Amino acid sequence: MNTAMTQAPGSTMSQPTRSRRGSQALRLLQGYAFFYPAFLLVAAVLFVPLFHAIWQSVHAADYMEIGRFVGLANFVNLLMHDGGLRDIGLSIVFVGGSVLLATPLGVGLAVLLNRPMRWRAFFRTVLVAPWVVSQLVTGLLWLWLYDDRLGPLQAMMQSLGIRALITDPDWAMASLILTNVWHSYPLVMVFTLAALQTVPSEVIEAATIDGASAWRRFWRITLPLIRNTLKVAVVLTTLHTFNTVTTILIMTGGGPAGATEVLALRVFKEGFQFFRMEVAATAAVLILLLNIAFSLAFVRVLKSDHA
Amino acid sequence: MRNTRRPHPSAWLTLVGFYLVLLAAVLFVLVPFLWGLSTSLKSPQEVLATTPHWIPEHIDFGNYGRGLLSEKFLRFMGNSLLAVIGALIVSLTLAVHAAYACARLRFRGKDLLLFLLWSTIMIPTVAIIVPLYLLSVNLQVYDTRFAVIAAYSAMLVPTLIWLLRGFIDSLPGELEESALVDGCSPVKMFYVIVLPLLRPGLAAASVLVFLTIWNDFLLAFSLTLRDENRLLQVGLHSYVTEAGIEWGPLMAATIGSTLPVVIAFAFLQRLFIQGLTGGAVKG
Repeated sequence: MNTAMTQAPGSTMSQPTRSRRGSQALRLLQGYAFFYPAFLLVAAVLFVPLFHAIWQSVHAADYMEIGRFVGLANFVNLLMHDGGLRDIGLSIVFVGGSVLLATPLGVGLAVLLNRPMRWRAFFRTVLVAPWVVSQLVTGLLWLWLYDDRLGPLQAMMQSLGIRALITDPDWAMASLILTNVWHSYPLVMVFTLAALQTVPSEVIEAATIDGASAWRRFWRITLPLIRNTLKVAVVLTTLHTFNTVTTILIMTGGGPAGATEVLALRVFKEGFQFFRMEVAATAAVLILLLNIAFSLAFVRVLKSDHA
Repeated sequence: MRNTRRPHPSAWLTLVGFYLVLLAAVLFVLVPFLWGLSTSLKSPQEVLATTPHWIPEHIDFGNYGRGLLSEKFLRFMGNSLLAVIGALIVSLTLAVHAAYACARLRFRGKDLLLFLLWSTIMIPTVAIIVPLYLLSVNLQVYDTRFAVIAAYSAMLVPTLIWLLRGFIDSLPGELEESALVDGCSPVKMFYVIVLPLLRPGLAAASVLVFLTIWNDFLLAFSLTLRDENRLLQVGLHSYVTEAGIEWGPLMAATIGSTLPVVIAFAFLQRLFIQGLTGGAVKG
C-alpha cells in the first residue's frame, strides 16, 4: 500500500482515506460485536443478583419476595442483635490465623525449593498439590483425619489431653485454621517461587562472598525484592479465606455451639437453611463491602510503596 | 574461602535439616490423602476398628464399587463433565472475542465497561448465590443444565478475558498489521491469524474452566436440586447425611474423583499455574 501511495501522490488521496474510514467503522462494529456478548452474560449473572442483594438488604423480606423499605434496620439487627459482630470477629480469627500461618509456610518452602537439589520436581509437585483439591474434599479428608473415635490422631490427642478436635468448641477453630492452611499455603508458595526467579543471583552471590548469613540475605535482599508479589499473594489468601464457605460447612456447619460460624457461612445458612432472605442479603452486602474495603486499602499500600 | 573441597560439618547439618523440613512438609500434605486412601481400601468392619491403623489388613476394593463407581456417583461425575464441556464452549467463545476487543479494538465506553468487567472479579461467589438462586427460580431455569452452564460461564468470563488479554498483548502486532495491509478483513484476520496463535492461552484457560467447575460446590448447590442435575461436589456432600457417614465408600469417591486431577496437575503444572493465577504467574 505504501508503494501504491508514493507512485500516485495527490490524485488518489481520497480513495484510501475513504476505504480506511470504512474499515475503521467495521473495526468499531467488530469491537461491539466481540465485547458485548461476554459483557451482557456477566451483567445478567453477576450484576442482577448483586443489585438484588443490595436492594433486599434495605428491605424487609416476605419469604421469597421483597417487602417494605426498612433503611439500615437489617444491618443494625444483624450486627447488634443477631450475632453479626461475633460472626465478623470469628471471620477475623479464621482469616488472621490462616494468613499468619500460611504466609511464612509458603514463603519458607518456596525458598527451600528454590535451591538446586535432588527430587526437586517431586517435592514441588507434592507441595503444590493441595491447591488443586476442592474445598469440599479438603474438608472431608480432614474431618475424617480429625475423627475423635476412629481417626489416627487420637493417640496423640490423648497424650496431649485433648478430648476432641473439630467437635470441641475450644479446638474447632484451631483445627479449621490448620485445614485451611493446608489448602491455602500453596498459592503463597507458587507466587513466591515465581518472584524468586526474578531475584538476580549475582546479588545473592555478592552478599554471600561478603559474609552475609543465609538468614540475613533473605531478610535484607530477597524479601525486599519479592515484597510486592508477596503482598498480592497475601491479599488473595485473605480474601479467599474470608469468603470461604464450603470447607467450614462440611467440617463444622458453624458449630459446635457457634464456635466457627464465620460471616460467609452465615450467608449460606440464612439463605438455604433458614430462608431468612433479608438476613442473607444483609450479610452478603457486608461481605462485599469488606472485600472492597480490604482491596482498596491494599491498592493504597501498593501505591504508597511505589511513590 | 577456606576448605572448599570437603564440606564443613555444619554444612552437613544444614543439608540434613533442609531435607527434614521438606519431608515434614510433604508429610503434612500427604497425611490426609493417605488416611483417606487407606480407609477407601478397608473392609467396612476394618473402617470401624477402634484402634486405627494405616495399612489395611487386606485390601478391599468394595468401597470403590459402592462409592466411586456407583450409578449415582458416575452420574454426578458425568454431570460435572457435561457442565465443563458446555462452559468451555460458551465461556471460551465469549472470552476470546472480548479479550481481543479489550486488547486491540476501540469502542465507545470501553474504559467504563472494562472497569465494570474487572470489578466483577472482586465479587465473591458467596455474595450472590442466594439472589442467583432466586433469579433462577423466577426465570424458571432452576435445576437445569442451562442455568449451571450460564452461571459458571459468567463467573469465569472476566478472569478468562484477563488471562487471554495477557496472551494477546504478548503477540507481535506486526503480524496483524501486515495481514490487514495484504487486504485481509479485520474480522477474518482474527480467526485466521490471531486465534491459532492463542492456543497456549486457550489451553491455560481450559484448565481454569475445568478445575473451577470440577471443584466448585457453592454454585452447583445453589442452582440444582435433583440427582440427575447434581454436580460432583454436591454429590459428595450428599453422602454426609444425618443418619451418619459411611466413610469407606465416601473416601473411595473422594479419592477417586480427586486423584486424577492431582495426576493431571503433576504433568501439566505450567498450564495449571497459568490458569489458576489468571496468567499472573507464568508457571
